[in-house]
Amino acid sequence: MLTDLWDFRQQLEEAQILICFNGPLSQSIIEEIGAAVKKYLETEMPGHGKLLDVFSVYIEQTQNIRNYSRRKAAGQGELPPYNGITLLIGRQGENYVVASGNIIDKGDIPPLRAALDHLRGLDAAALKALYKEQRRKPHDEHDAHAGAGLGLIDMARKTCQPLEYRLRDIDAGHAFFNLIAVI
Amino acid sequence: MMERLIRDASKASPAIDFDPVSGVLRMQGESYPENTFEFFRPIMAWLRDYLAQAAAPVSMELELSYLNTGSIKCLMDMFDLLDAHHQEGKAARIVWRYHANNPRALETAEEFAEDLSLPFLIEQHP
Repeated sequence: MLTDLWDFRQQLEEAQILICFNGPLSQSIIEEIGAAVKKYLETEMPGHGKLLDVFSVYIEQTQNIRNYSRRKAAGQGELPPYNGITLLIGRQGENYVVASGNIIDKGDIPPLRAALDHLRGLDAAALKALYKEQRRKPHDEHDAHAGAGLGLIDMARKTCQPLEYRLRDIDAGHAFFNLIAVI
Repeated sequence: MMERLIRDASKASPAIDFDPVSGVLRMQGESYPENTFEFFRPIMAWLRDYLAQAAAPVSMELELSYLNTGSIKCLMDMFDLLDAHHQEGKAARIVWRYHANNPRALETAEEFAEDLSLPFLIEQHP
């Protein structure tokens, strides 16, 4: 077991990580960490648009994961693996990074990959047009990717470089999805 | 007569006060509730019922400092209802107030206003 927290802390500090969380996600945890993020950034850059963007990307990432796990749990009781999150918020030079990781079904990979690869190729004007189109699309709670659509576009509009993602195989049915937003 | 719709604010949901007598529909605060669509469903239903019988001018007055994308979608649906009301020749407007230190709230308002035809007033707080 990893118990040398001093080493762990130094690793985090060297990587300029401000907030690190690993565990099951709930709305109250989203709110508490969100409040901490805001408070911290307000002391660093009061009234700055970037602060609002970091908070916003953080909310979209965590609520996307929460909604995904809720859809997976629907009718089958709670499925713990989907509700866990690994979250890092840190600094990278002049920018901030919000990165999250969660376990997803392999079957959900192709549309997710297609959506992200598409967004990565769009400029600001195209992202705005897509945002407006998606904003008026009817909400479909049975669509496994509903909601994530506008959330991903919104994140892509707030990042200063294309949204980055990684997928790692963990077993026959599951992968670990890692989303990285630089703001 | 319809009942006044009142919701207290929470950390992640706005205060709501929709008054059918005055026609002033207020929302204030931050909006990123758990299950956003369920949160807004009764509010949307109230608005739909109200507009079906509203005779007096309707003014939606908003002071929303942060909206998650689910809330953005719900607001768009509400604004479209108000816009349709306006296009039927009835008086409806939106007033959006934002704080000077919140540039994103201004941009959000502008991007809504671009896609609507009813009067959309954007006012800055000191």
